[in-house]
Amino acid sequence: MNAVLLPILPPLIAALAVLVLRRGGAALVLAGATLSLAGSLWLLTGVVDGQAETLLLPGLPDMPLRLVAGPMTALLSAAVATVATFVLIYAVGYMKRETGQARFYAMMSLFLAAMQALVLAGDWVLLLAAWELIGLCSYLLIGFWFQRPEAANAASRAFLYTRSADLGLYVAIFILIGSVGTSEIAVSLETGDSASTAAGLLLLLAAMGKSAQVPLQDWLMRAMAGPTPVSALLHSATLVAAGAILLIRSAPLLTPEALLAVGLVGGVTTVAAGVIALAERDLKRMLAASTASQYGLMLIAVGAGVPMAALLHLLAHAAIKSTLFLAAGDFQHAREGTGFDQLKGVGRARPWAFAGFALAALALAGIPPLSGFFSKDAVIAAALSGQGAAWLVPFALAGTLLTGAYMARALRLLWQGSGETRAVAGTGWMRAGIWGLAIPAAVLGLAFGPLETMLDLPAPETAGVVAIVLGLVAALAGLALGWLVPVQRLLGPAHPWAESGLVVAGGLTAWVGRPAMAVARGCDRLEDHFYAAALGVGHAALTIARGGQRLEQRLYLAVLGVGRANLVVGRWVRGGDERGIDGLIFALVAGVRALGGRARTLQSGMIHHSLAISAVATAALFVVTLFSASLSF
Amino acid sequence: MLPLVSLTLFLPLVGAVLILCLPKPTARTVHGIAITSAALTLVGALAMWLQGVSSEGFSQVEELEWMPAIGAAYRVGVDGISLPLVLLSAVLFLVSLIYASSLRDRPRAYVALILLLETAAIGTFTALDGILFYVFFEVSLVSMYFMIAGWGHEERQRAALMFFIYTLLGSLPLLLAILGLYLGSPDPTFDMRAWIANPPLEGAAAMWALIAMLITFAVKIPAIPLHTWLPAAHVQAPTVGSVILAGIMLKFGTYGLVRFALQMTPDAFREAGIVVLFFGVVSAIYGAFAALAQTDLKRLVAYTSVNHMGYVIVGVAAAALTLDPAVRATALDGAVLQMFSHGLVTGALFFLVGMIQERARTREMGEFGGLLKTVPLLGWFFVLAAFASLGLPGLAHFPAEFQIFLATLGTTPIAVIVILGIAIIAGTFLKALRETFMGEPRDRWSEMPDLSPREILAVAPLLVLTVATGVAPSWVLDVIHRTTSALVL
Repeated sequence: MNAVLLPILPPLIAALAVLVLRRGGAALVLAGATLSLAGSLWLLTGVVDGQAETLLLPGLPDMPLRLVAGPMTALLSAAVATVATFVLIYAVGYMKRETGQARFYAMMSLFLAAMQALVLAGDWVLLLAAWELIGLCSYLLIGFWFQRPEAANAASRAFLYTRSADLGLYVAIFILIGSVGTSEIAVSLETGDSASTAAGLLLLLAAMGKSAQVPLQDWLMRAMAGPTPVSALLHSATLVAAGAILLIRSAPLLTPEALLAVGLVGGVTTVAAGVIALAERDLKRMLAASTASQYGLMLIAVGAGVPMAALLHLLAHAAIKSTLFLAAGDFQHAREGTGFDQLKGVGRARPWAFAGFALAALALAGIPPLSGFFSKDAVIAAALSGQGAAWLVPFALAGTLLTGAYMARALRLLWQGSGETRAVAGTGWMRAGIWGLAIPAAVLGLAFGPLETMLDLPAPETAGVVAIVLGLVAALAGLALGWLVPVQRLLGPAHPWAESGLVVAGGLTAWVGRPAMAVARGCDRLEDHFYAAALGVGHAALTIARGGQRLEQRLYLAVLGVGRANLVVGRWVRGGDERGIDGLIFALVAGVRALGGRARTLQSGMIHHSLAISAVATAALFVVTLFSASLSF
Repeated sequence: MLPLVSLTLFLPLVGAVLILCLPKPTARTVHGIAITSAALTLVGALAMWLQGVSSEGFSQVEELEWMPAIGAAYRVGVDGISLPLVLLSAVLFLVSLIYASSLRDRPRAYVALILLLETAAIGTFTALDGILFYVFFEVSLVSMYFMIAGWGHEERQRAALMFFIYTLLGSLPLLLAILGLYLGSPDPTFDMRAWIANPPLEGAAAMWALIAMLITFAVKIPAIPLHTWLPAAHVQAPTVGSVILAGIMLKFGTYGLVRFALQMTPDAFREAGIVVLFFGVVSAIYGAFAALAQTDLKRLVAYTSVNHMGYVIVGVAAAALTLDPAVRATALDGAVLQMFSHGLVTGALFFLVGMIQERARTREMGEFGGLLKTVPLLGWFFVLAAFASLGLPGLAHFPAEFQIFLATLGTTPIAVIVILGIAIIAGTFLKALRETFMGEPRDRWSEMPDLSPREILAVAPLLVLTVATGVAPSWVLDVIHRTTSALVL
């Protein structure tokens, strides 16, 4: 077996096994994820030794499916597997009291397999397939508690938003295949110059959907209706990450115009989502808005022409955000909710989870020597070095400031005050999951140096003191503001607007959803008219048919007449020597006679029956006359 | 050597005759005979599949003299375009008969009609003679008429009538076109192979013939604005009728579009291709929007058929318009696979909607809620079928639609807006799933039983094939591609 399959097959098999067996979900799926992790690490060591693995699978004609383990894909695969494994360990504790565990574990495992296929995909068709499958998995997982209307709505919204944006990926892929003549990603990247700006913008659209960039950010916050381990996986290493991964991988294809668009979308999102996060009243929703904001930072790096920086921030964010969510899930179990009102002082009661949360929060804010410091430094350096620095640097710094502010606010709200806290089942598993990810969130920065050499991507040239100072100042200022100043004061009159999610004129629902439904209803009304018109024609036909018995009688006679005529022709033909035709004619005559007979028996008075039979008879007549006519040639 | 094609073709008819000849058989016997003959037909179709097709022209051809004086003969055979449709018919009719095996209301006539329809369907796909094709094409119409009129729902008479008049009037132009092809042939013959090898008509004559064919096939497919009979017929038709109507009979139209319009009047089709493409795009988008507005599950599924068949039209039009043989092969691969996939997926959806209706006596989405909890197996089957229908990768429609869109962009870039349809259909099914299967379960339906073994047997094979076609489309595409890659227009 080819080693490229190692990260994909175990979770896939585990998912199917759980679906079939309906039991042993956690154990099987954990085994699958661990094997996936081992497989991806194996690939990674192979890649470090300089051997890329490729596997071809049958796909569409002339477009085989292709899996490739190169430096970047193997690294991403390892990151995905790591996060998934610890999230699953955590889930064993978190899901202890839930029903429907088999479904949960099977879907999580399938999610992992699909994401592994996405990062290891070496051709556009497989990438697109995996891209949509992770959409399906997130739909099923966000809607895990499908009896709750808000979960059902959130799941539908998540799938619909991302699917609509996915159309961009479809068309971009068609353009790329059309211009290069093959679906292999590596070939597309090598001949990247030929790709148009249109393709780049379409890729951006697809990434905006998945990575929840403005104006498509709204689904991500509603997706909090799902179980917390799902959010942890979704935000860090799978669904949302897919958008940034797509842009990082296809960065060589992007024209300067497309890069500018990427950078601007990222810049606007990092600020807008940061403001939304700052005003949130719910911990999980705050973390969701923060995710959109952080992916905005990654897009800034891509837009500045330094995908390497985006990749580093993606890796750091994966560890950090999953830690934050897992800790939030722990608080959620302790207080039966995630509103900041309910969570007051929960940090004191759950010190282990809170320590992990705080560590990750500081890492995300960009405090050295935690991982987020290095990755955020890389992003700011990238913004400084690339084209459009005048635009991108302010956005990046504002994003960093906001990150510090909302994380500090969260820490304050979780720490201050006190309240009743319930005993939580499965704390051991949850603690293992949290700290399994908190440690990499802290120390991952140390690995960035070796990673940069391994990946061999262009790094920002001036990663000097300027970037470090700017980043640190922004982060510390943010932390101080968030800890000291209440958010209402901080945002001033914009606070209510930020609390409502910065909706502009009703949001996408008003701009796209309602018009689409209006068009649909218009089509439906048009249908009624179409139907009435067709019915009118039908009634006219009926009126003619109401000649009734007489018409029927005549038709009957006519049928008989044709039959007789055929007999004559038949006799005439018999004079000749064509036996085949001979037989045919007699068969036809018999058939017509039988039809005449039926016409008599079926004069049931039911007008439509008569009409139907007349119609058949007419058709038959037509054929018979045709035969007779052709005979006389 | 067994005449496999003819055996497969007439086995259902033999079953029907047997059922009608038996003196007073029990319902059990009737259904037993029907299922046996359909199963044998499937064995025949599988044997044909194993025989395969060659890249040039038709394979497994069987010929008998019939009317040598006018050049008509009994000629049947398959190529990569028709063989998947034969297999699809054999599968769908078998599961339909399994589903119908609980019927106690005049079962004899009912299953005899289904079997007659199966012979007509396989005959339409395998006929290589113009007259023979037309006869099978029309016979299917009559059987479907009686199925709707005899076993349909409340307003069945009116719907059956509409269906009948529409499609009968619709098929007369085809007869004229067939006559035109016949008269235009240098050596008058009804041999479709000759018409394909040397298209007999040129210039205005070819264009008129093409227009005539397009009218017929547009009614059958159905394309906007000739589609009105479809929702009406589906809503009133019995479940099996809907499954066969959508799963098989719509393919007569798209199959004819390829076999007749594209292959027999290729030059005229190339000239008119942009118009056909336009109607395909409009059909797909309009059908998607109309589906989005529905609250009746069955009407909803019916309109998604208009959308999916619109993609087939787009694919065939792209094949006609392009000058690049590789793009043409991609377009036709997609179009033919889309026919196959649509049969599986829509067949499954209509079965599932029928099962809901039998339990609840209603199909209004608003009356349900939380069915995933009440009837989990039915619910999850529906989720799978719905995601297949909205074109999710790993399920049958994705490879087909991907190829159609890819070829369209390579031919007429603007037409790729048709891809909006897949987002609208996604919205349609998400809404249906949310209102019907998710949310709080209602007490009203708490006693609703989940699927019985008979129902599982009817729908599960279709879903298994849906997954198989989505995960490894090459098992079908290899057959299709062998013909489409060698196609000369």
